[in-house]
Amino acid sequence: MHRRKSIQNIALLAGGLIALPNWAKAWSLDSLPMVGKLLNPAAENTLALIIETIIPESDTKGAKSLGVPAFVNTMLADCYERKVVENVEKGLAVVEKLAIERYQQSFANLTTSQKEQLLLSLEKETDSNLKDFYSLIKNLTIQGFTSSEYVQTTFLKYEMAPGHYYGCVSI
Amino acid sequence: MLNNFMFQRFNFSTEMANISIDAIKKNTYDAIVIGSGISGGWAAKELCENGLKTLVLERGRDVKHIEDYPTANKHPWEFEHRGQVPLAVREAYGSIRSFMREETLHWAIKPDEQPFVQEKPFSWTRGYHVGGKSLLWARQTQRWSDFDFEGPARDGYAVDWPIRYADIAPWYSHVEKFAGISGNKDGLPHLPDGEFLPPIELNCVEQHLQGVLAQNYTDRQLIQGRCAHLTSPQAVHLQQGRGKCQHRNLCNRGCPLGGYFSANASTLPAAAKTGKMTLRPHSVVHSIIFDVKKDKASGVRVVDANTGEMIEYFAKIIFVNAGAVNSNLILLNSLSTRFPTGLGNESGLLGKYFACHNYRGKASAQVEGFQDKTTSGKNPSNGYIPRFRNVQKQEMDFLRGYSIGVGAGRWSGSNREGIGEDLKNQLLHPALGNWGISAWMQGETVPIESNHLRLHTELKDKYGIPQLITSVAWTENDDKMVKDFQEQVEEMFTKAGFKNINANDSHSNPGSDIHEMGGVRMGKDPKTSLLNEWNQLHSCKNVFVSDGACMTSTGTQNPSLTYMAITARAANYAVSALKKRIL
Repeated sequence: MHRRKSIQNIALLAGGLIALPNWAKAWSLDSLPMVGKLLNPAAENTLALIIETIIPESDTKGAKSLGVPAFVNTMLADCYERKVVENVEKGLAVVEKLAIERYQQSFANLTTSQKEQLLLSLEKETDSNLKDFYSLIKNLTIQGFTSSEYVQTTFLKYEMAPGHYYGCVSI
Repeated sequence: MLNNFMFQRFNFSTEMANISIDAIKKNTYDAIVIGSGISGGWAAKELCENGLKTLVLERGRDVKHIEDYPTANKHPWEFEHRGQVPLAVREAYGSIRSFMREETLHWAIKPDEQPFVQEKPFSWTRGYHVGGKSLLWARQTQRWSDFDFEGPARDGYAVDWPIRYADIAPWYSHVEKFAGISGNKDGLPHLPDGEFLPPIELNCVEQHLQGVLAQNYTDRQLIQGRCAHLTSPQAVHLQQGRGKCQHRNLCNRGCPLGGYFSANASTLPAAAKTGKMTLRPHSVVHSIIFDVKKDKASGVRVVDANTGEMIEYFAKIIFVNAGAVNSNLILLNSLSTRFPTGLGNESGLLGKYFACHNYRGKASAQVEGFQDKTTSGKNPSNGYIPRFRNVQKQEMDFLRGYSIGVGAGRWSGSNREGIGEDLKNQLLHPALGNWGISAWMQGETVPIESNHLRLHTELKDKYGIPQLITSVAWTENDDKMVKDFQEQVEEMFTKAGFKNINANDSHSNPGSDIHEMGGVRMGKDPKTSLLNEWNQLHSCKNVFVSDGACMTSTGTQNPSLTYMAITARAANYAVSALKKRIL
């Protein structure tokens, strides 16, 4: 019996298929529930473009293909107070307005460089609400990107069970 | 629904007569253990292994080892909100902040489970499920020495402990061997060595500080903290179905490997294996029944948390291991004509001299150098500086002293500035940063009469149990000790060459340490204490209290190991007393 339990433990450690209750395994980026419900379609589209601009696709996966826009929507819907979300809505409208003012085009039609310049300018904004809006979206984008399975396992040497601790190793 | 149930005081003798003999027999055991946590699990194991038919009562839900750790093997990206608890969910927990992460939300309790009144600010973290806080603890396990047990007598506070190190040393060994404790044999008289598995390593910076202390001081040492992790499991651990610690550092989700000691992984399965244990979750203990005719306790009243039904269970002996605060509450609510102010409370001191550890002092610093070194894997332990103030003699302007936890590490991080390709590359290729170090105090507090727990005379919880009032505050002695900690850490860190040293007083509430102790203290004299040297109530000898509530003083060590040893000792005494028919 003990042997069987030990084997069971090893199986768990290996991170293979594990019997978990349904509520615990139902979460994945593709099944996030709140997409589209929080922001109107235009705002949501602008948000996705901002997220893709912050971390673009290249020869490695970017925020878009890792489902970060859906993650940011979920976080906004579930984890932030209404006034924060309203500030995001306002911020998205300002981004559109600035695109028209500066480039006479919708944000969606700007070149990558123009999008980057516009977003970078938000970091130097004197309007603290606008600054907060961009800082929140950028932080959530970075969080969603760096905690993704792809980035964790391909780049960040993620190891759930190192099996050891060495206190002093040479680099 | 629960409000409809009647929780009036029983007229004990007449009520008893109405219960049929069969029903009593069905609900009768040799022993009842109240609580299934770190000390209750030990009581259950020792009593069951000695052949006693034992009922273990747990107020919360069942948690089966491995299968009830729902997040134990989830990766960061598998948490929908990456660990953050959604506002709507959080709302249901009110001001309760403990375990408010998606990884650990299954341990959190809702405020209506047990409201209490903070006459003075008090942080009370509860583990209401099978295994209790043994699933949630920091797993540090330092032995007491006679410098601790003799403290009250030498320094003139509290009352003299009725036991000394020699009384408990064999029981430390007993529990250490079974639980699995890793550590070095450091040969320190004030922090005795135990039965150790191989130690976890100190890292480069911790070793450096260790050397600096050795060069500059004769009174203090940095050692590796002894901790309840299986670094090299022995037969006794493999037999429990436990395996080597895999350095996941996901301990507080529940460890499916049994890599650290918990009641769920270790003592409760051992008790169950005897076939003698009945574990009853959802059993909120209301009070202990005292039989005036027999002049001893006859059982326990339980409110079934699901149905609201009041049920009585009977036994020859009762172990109270509900967690220090709740053990006080249960005794305070166990009223009879013989004990109108709480079971065993002839001294009038029940609930008084309640204490905890002072964790207010925190420090951090930056470390220069060691650029060619780093750590590999994860460290479930930390460095530890045993108490060095007032050890051999009184020398400071405050009583007693503090130990210090120490942890250094080297973090890697990314530059988060910029946008686009550049930002992406920065995030994908984090750089090693500098080393940093932090330290935290664990101060002994001197128990005083005014620091106490008592029952509210009107407010009750949803089970009909009176609400508890906590009245515990820091004293001038604590303030002085925090100041000394700040000064001493600054001095030690300066000698070690650390920079940007910040040692501060967090002013955290009593209870933040989750080391609640006292209220039902042990002592030699029934006039000034509640429990004798075997953890029996002086005036109701078949009731044993062996969790934190029994502590006469607090020491500076993480207390769980001492609760385990005291409990194993008391349980084995109870068995021998039953055999000798003196109970």
